[in-house]
Amino acid sequence: MAQVLGVLKSPHELASAILDLKGAGFKDLEVYSPVANHEIEAALDRPPSIIRLLTLIGCLTGVSFAYFMQIWVAYDWPLVIGGKPFASIVSDTIIGFELNILLGVTLTVLGLLFFGLFLTRKGHEAYQPGFSGDSFGCLVACHGDQVGRAQEVLRRAGSQEVRVVEG
Amino acid sequence: MAAITEPVPTHPDQINDDILRVLEPPTPMYVLMVLFLATLVGIGLVAFLYQTYWGLGVTGLTHPVMWGVYITTFVFWVGIAHAGTLISAILFLFRARWRNAVNRGAEAMTVFAVLIAAMFPLIHIGRVYKFYFMVPYPNQRGVWPNFKSPLVWDLFAINTYMISSILFFYVGLIPDLAAARDRVRDWRRYLYRALSLGWRGSSEQWRHWTRTVLHLSGLCTPLVLSVHSVVSWDFATSMVPGWHTTIFAPYFVAGAIFSGIAMVITVLVPVRRAFHLEGYLRREHFDNMGKLILLTSSVVGYAYGMEYFMAWYSANPYEQMSFWWRGFGYHWTSTWIMISCNVISPLPLWIKWCRTNVAWMWVTSIFINIGMWFERYVIIMTGLSHEYDPAAWGYYVPSLTELTILVASFGLFLTMFTIFLRLAPVIAIQEVKELWYEAQAPHGGHH
Repeated sequence: MAQVLGVLKSPHELASAILDLKGAGFKDLEVYSPVANHEIEAALDRPPSIIRLLTLIGCLTGVSFAYFMQIWVAYDWPLVIGGKPFASIVSDTIIGFELNILLGVTLTVLGLLFFGLFLTRKGHEAYQPGFSGDSFGCLVACHGDQVGRAQEVLRRAGSQEVRVVEG
Repeated sequence: MAAITEPVPTHPDQINDDILRVLEPPTPMYVLMVLFLATLVGIGLVAFLYQTYWGLGVTGLTHPVMWGVYITTFVFWVGIAHAGTLISAILFLFRARWRNAVNRGAEAMTVFAVLIAAMFPLIHIGRVYKFYFMVPYPNQRGVWPNFKSPLVWDLFAINTYMISSILFFYVGLIPDLAAARDRVRDWRRYLYRALSLGWRGSSEQWRHWTRTVLHLSGLCTPLVLSVHSVVSWDFATSMVPGWHTTIFAPYFVAGAIFSGIAMVITVLVPVRRAFHLEGYLRREHFDNMGKLILLTSSVVGYAYGMEYFMAWYSANPYEQMSFWWRGFGYHWTSTWIMISCNVISPLPLWIKWCRTNVAWMWVTSIFINIGMWFERYVIIMTGLSHEYDPAAWGYYVPSLTELTILVASFGLFLTMFTIFLRLAPVIAIQEVKELWYEAQAPHGGHH
């Protein structure tokens, strides 16, 4: 597979380039952007991040563990107060809430580290420092015979620089 | 309306240049300032060691006032720590785009303030090496902490807030650390390379990152409201006159946001001036923060009035006496400093000229910081010194050791913030740039 990189100057140009490339039949696209941008996101039309599931798992684990820990401790070492059950669900809610947030936050960030950074750490030979400044990159993976077509679409979309990426 | 005259960045690369310029090697003045602040911290450390060696007898704490400057300062720093999350999480969910310029500084402040706050209960217990008694871990006799105690709730709340704030802060920093990695050429390049965790700004990375930020905002918004509520329950669940009231949770939360915003202004105004960031920390940002101050000052002022009203209306002589003592007893000066600084000093901010005058805002913010420290001091000290039995009434005067540690906490906060300025972008580059691109978008900048 060959890779063609187009360097553009605005998120709007990048979003147009993505739509044009998709229209021309190119499906394997990667983009580089110095900012998060809804227009680019919409053009790429990727499924929602798995992180939302991890947040939910973290929150549910946190709240369940907190209630379990407090109720278990209340019966393991009972504080006998006349007429009252050992476990107090109402007051347990406070620590339940805090651990719900704590584990939710922790698992969300671990999800970012794993899915967003660890799994995506390789294959960025096309990256250039300008992509954290004022440039946007659009990388197209295609067969050797489609390189010319990809270059043409990228140029037409306003790319200031178009090159074939080695590696 | 005051004309906004600060220059606007003309190019996205200029945003990188202007903000990353702050990271350039320090000037002698900067080094002197860090040394001065570190000296304050050193003096505080000596005072702390002195107290650890001799015990809490070196403080002014004695029956009936067993909570003093340390708990006051703990509550103060927890309050300061609220602004970062308010600006980053709550205003993010409300889509208040002006937050983009101030959120990084506020988040950094939150992290440093909550770290300092977490130290104060440890300082307060005297035998700091016994702190693990609070941790949910059975001691040698198999006894667990009492999970029904508000002090244990507080441990969970503060630690959750500390960990969440640090993670939220770091996640927001990752794209900017990558920008710094691509820009600097000295040894820090390796530091930023390690800290940016291989960030390349790819669509996959942004997809997970934006979702993470959204979820962290969603989780931290109720968290920030819960933390100071839980802190307020340290007081409100007791039977002490002046403390045992249902108004405490919203009253504390509003006060925390009030003091937090004030501290953001106190810290960012000199940064704006020293690093020529007038084009980013603009007068409209101060205008908006001024409005937040007015809102929270009004809530706090209402709560002050309501406390007195409820004391009178309850016909409870202990409650009435406590509030009479608060306003006209030995510590009346603290009460009137609190009211003057928190209710009266923000009043000129109803005028737009004052809100957009940076110097005015800075002076007001310092008054508010002073007033909010005194608010906690008044609540704690007047409540404990004047409970039910006149034979058990007492008095509290902070000792030099306590005041030294108090001053050192400000030194530590400013030392950490000053070092942070040179290590990471104080303004969120990618978020400011996001606004810049939106403003340039052909359809007018809104999605």
